[in-house]
Amino acid sequence: MSARAGLSTLVRAACALVLAALALAPVARAATPAQPPAAAGAASGLAAAVTDDVIAVTSDFRGARITVFGATPARRAPGDVVVAIRGPGAPITVMRKRRTGPLWLNRDPVSFADAPSFHAVVSAKPLVQIASTRDIWELGLDPAAQARLTSATPSDADPSDYRQGLVRLQRARGLYQEAPRGLVLRPGGLFKAQVALPANAQPGAYRADVYLFRNGRLQATESATILISRQGLEQTVYALAQERPLIYGLFTVALALSAGWVAALIFRRS
Amino acid sequence: MMSIYLPIAELPVNALVILLMSGAVGFVSGLVGVGGGFLMTPLLIFLGIPPAVAASTEAAQITSTSVSGLLAYWRRRLVDWRMGLLLSIAGVLGSVAGVRLFAAMKEIGQVDLLITLSYVFFLSIIGGLMLWESVGALRRKSRGLPPTRRKRGRTLAHVLPLRMRFPASGLYISVLPPLAIGFGVGVIAAVMGVGGGFILAPAMIYLLRMPTQVVVGTSLVQVLIVTSLVVVLQSTQTRTVDLVLATLLIVGGVIGAQLGVRAGANFSAERLRAILAVLVLGTGLKLAYDLVATPAEMFVLGAPR
Repeated sequence: MSARAGLSTLVRAACALVLAALALAPVARAATPAQPPAAAGAASGLAAAVTDDVIAVTSDFRGARITVFGATPARRAPGDVVVAIRGPGAPITVMRKRRTGPLWLNRDPVSFADAPSFHAVVSAKPLVQIASTRDIWELGLDPAAQARLTSATPSDADPSDYRQGLVRLQRARGLYQEAPRGLVLRPGGLFKAQVALPANAQPGAYRADVYLFRNGRLQATESATILISRQGLEQTVYALAQERPLIYGLFTVALALSAGWVAALIFRRS
Repeated sequence: MMSIYLPIAELPVNALVILLMSGAVGFVSGLVGVGGGFLMTPLLIFLGIPPAVAASTEAAQITSTSVSGLLAYWRRRLVDWRMGLLLSIAGVLGSVAGVRLFAAMKEIGQVDLLITLSYVFFLSIIGGLMLWESVGALRRKSRGLPPTRRKRGRTLAHVLPLRMRFPASGLYISVLPPLAIGFGVGVIAAVMGVGGGFILAPAMIYLLRMPTQVVVGTSLVQVLIVTSLVVVLQSTQTRTVDLVLATLLIVGGVIGAQLGVRAGANFSAERLRAILAVLVLGTGLKLAYDLVATPAEMFVLGAPR
């Protein structure tokens, strides 16, 4: 274990060392200041917050746990709480596999605008028992609702097939989650919801929205922001690759050339 | 475990696994004298790294192993620089075209298909040929026959115009075939994230009739220049080079290759080549099967347009 940890430290130290030069370059850091959790909705009495409003993606990032907690106003009849955590929307293309000769090729691309890059919904019981189908769709509690089609679907396909395909694929990657029994509601109106953010989640500004339903109707909403940001080495490498690709490429080549040369020297001597 | 997050691929990998894997591939390539790119890139894809990132980043590893190799051959004066530079000029043009093709296919969401198809095609052919040759060599050895001699004689390269003298190889041939070979290998290097030595070396031996001892050193000149350029071009045009992954691959590959070269004396090259051939052929068949088998999931995510 200690040997492994030692090697790990060594690798990171090596990476840090080769990148020390890069850090000196005036690379703009995407240092969006962490926003404080939104103030409790005083009017409605629904309160919500997240335990960590900044999650750092560093070189040992392996995913994170997001905890949303809060309190509902009415102690006797707390109602139904639904927590939705959503990542930044991004355009995405979904393709259908179609047999062409002997091969299965990716064909018939359909584009979606603003498909959430991450979407998790946590509630104490299945959504259909809490809210109307219309509310589920309009509030974007169904990830497919937020993915707007921006191109025509092929004539022999149903747009909803593509939508469901997108949801299925993102679910398989752990990026779309549904936990209909994941919300813990304590007597007295305190609630807590936990979501496992997978390591492949895209960095960016996330939002946690809390909805309070009573008898199938929306009573109040509250939200908090969570910033998933690359930091340290990860941020330096990413920013350099995006903003100074030529320097980044030349640096990678220089690293490769010197490593090969040094290895040849060392092994020749011994 | 030693998990490390890759900033461009946007996923964590086990650093120890990558180091051991690149070390093993480097070892085999040092032992047998082939570049490891055509094994390493599919392995990275099997690990879940996006094919585009795998192919672009692997080019950086090949750059580093080819430097060590080239230095070793240069010391022994087994490099035909004139031929190497001619191949490189064409290779540079080829890799520019290859990166364009790569970017165009990425745009229409078919880059993974392009990479997979190239691998199926070349791995099957190279694996088959290697297996054929090594089994033949093993059989001749067991019967106590000497290794076969290469035929000498005139090829197309001796007939075409624009002939030039290559003193280091003792050739007087047309520059057109080397230019065509260099260009083709440049395209392949850019698309597949390989050095292309496995195509270049047989082409130099059989099509140009170069003496075997200068072939590897000379091909490394082209491999070095072309993969360096591919890294820079992929960085600027497709942004698919992952520096953290590249560092791990370079460290593992460079050490593995040096150990492989040293261990070379104690191994039966023919038997190892046969094992490698089976491995290459198996990888090609697995990729081919995935293209032909009816998929369980009928939809797939593509790059945003």
